[in-house]
Amino acid sequence: MSSQTPEHFLPLTPAVFAILLALSQGERHGYGIMKQAALPAGGEIKLGPGTLYGTLDRLMRDALVEETGFTDDERRRYYRLTGLGTRVLAAETSRLSAALKTARTRLAAEEVRA
Amino acid sequence: MKHPDPLPLAAYAQTIELIYPKHLRERYQDQMLQTARDANGERTDSAVYFWAHLYTDLVRSSLQEHIRMFRNDLFARPIFFHTLTLALILTVWGLFAAMSIQGALRRSADQPQLRMAQDYAAVLASGSTVEDTFPKVHVDIEHSPEPFAIYYNSAGQPVAATGHISDTVPSPPSGVFEYLRTHPSDKFTWQPHRGLRIAAVMQRVDGSKPGFILVGRSLQATELETVTLRRATFVSWALLMCLLAAGAMYLDRAQRMGSTPLAT
Repeated sequence: MSSQTPEHFLPLTPAVFAILLALSQGERHGYGIMKQAALPAGGEIKLGPGTLYGTLDRLMRDALVEETGFTDDERRRYYRLTGLGTRVLAAETSRLSAALKTARTRLAAEEVRA
Repeated sequence: MKHPDPLPLAAYAQTIELIYPKHLRERYQDQMLQTARDANGERTDSAVYFWAHLYTDLVRSSLQEHIRMFRNDLFARPIFFHTLTLALILTVWGLFAAMSIQGALRRSADQPQLRMAQDYAAVLASGSTVEDTFPKVHVDIEHSPEPFAIYYNSAGQPVAATGHISDTVPSPPSGVFEYLRTHPSDKFTWQPHRGLRIAAVMQRVDGSKPGFILVGRSLQATELETVTLRRATFVSWALLMCLLAAGAMYLDRAQRMGSTPLAT
């Protein structure tokens, strides 16, 4: 088990954030992750298999994601978030929320001034 | 019945074989192909756009993974890290040495003009005539490596000269004369026209014949030496880097095979 804190992994790249977000709804196979990441609610990230599996490999090495062991086909393996992966996603969401809140406040102030 | 994969997918499989890093390929190749197959089955984009995206992603991610592997290898194997450090030190040292030698070459191009300018100025200041001071020689500044001398009066007009460019006596920029009204001498690189650079030394003449002495010499020979020096430096650097890389790879291989080739 990894002893690193969630903050150690921040900030996440858009691809990592999209993968963790896709897996936060439950376990998925590679194409399921790709489809979810491409949706507006998933971050609208167009992942290709090269990027997807390279990133998944690192996420598994960092113990943020794991294989479920379940497979309906040897070529379609399923992945899910670990506890650490969930905490990292939560920490990144808080970080982005704080930045978004600041940005919205500043933009609103700019509009009032204009 | 199992349908054969379409041609772009078969080519995609071959491209994975060719460029995707081995450790990832061994583990994920089947999954990557299945993902591409699934995506192709449900694609809404045009085939060209879809496959262009998949191939671009494969090339870019392969490159990124190879760079990541190289970086990890570099830090995981001390021999590569030490070799890179040594290469950096040698490169900086080589650059510094080459620049120092180049500077020394340029400084040496100011001789014998420095001494000649002082001698001419001293002779003219002592009251000697211009005709007696300047030898009756004609140096073609553009083509001769010989030093030449020009005497200008205090208004900056040429009075006597041993060097000419196309039978005319050249004059340096007026700023040089202005500078010498408050300073005894100056040395500079003078470019009378494109392709001709001169190592020039100018000395103010005081006494009964106030004016300025310019002694110069074409920099062509020095510039040829500089080009040779740069080439030799680059070739030596490239050879040294090749030797370092070969040595590092040999030592790394020997270490991994468990032998110590330097031990006797």
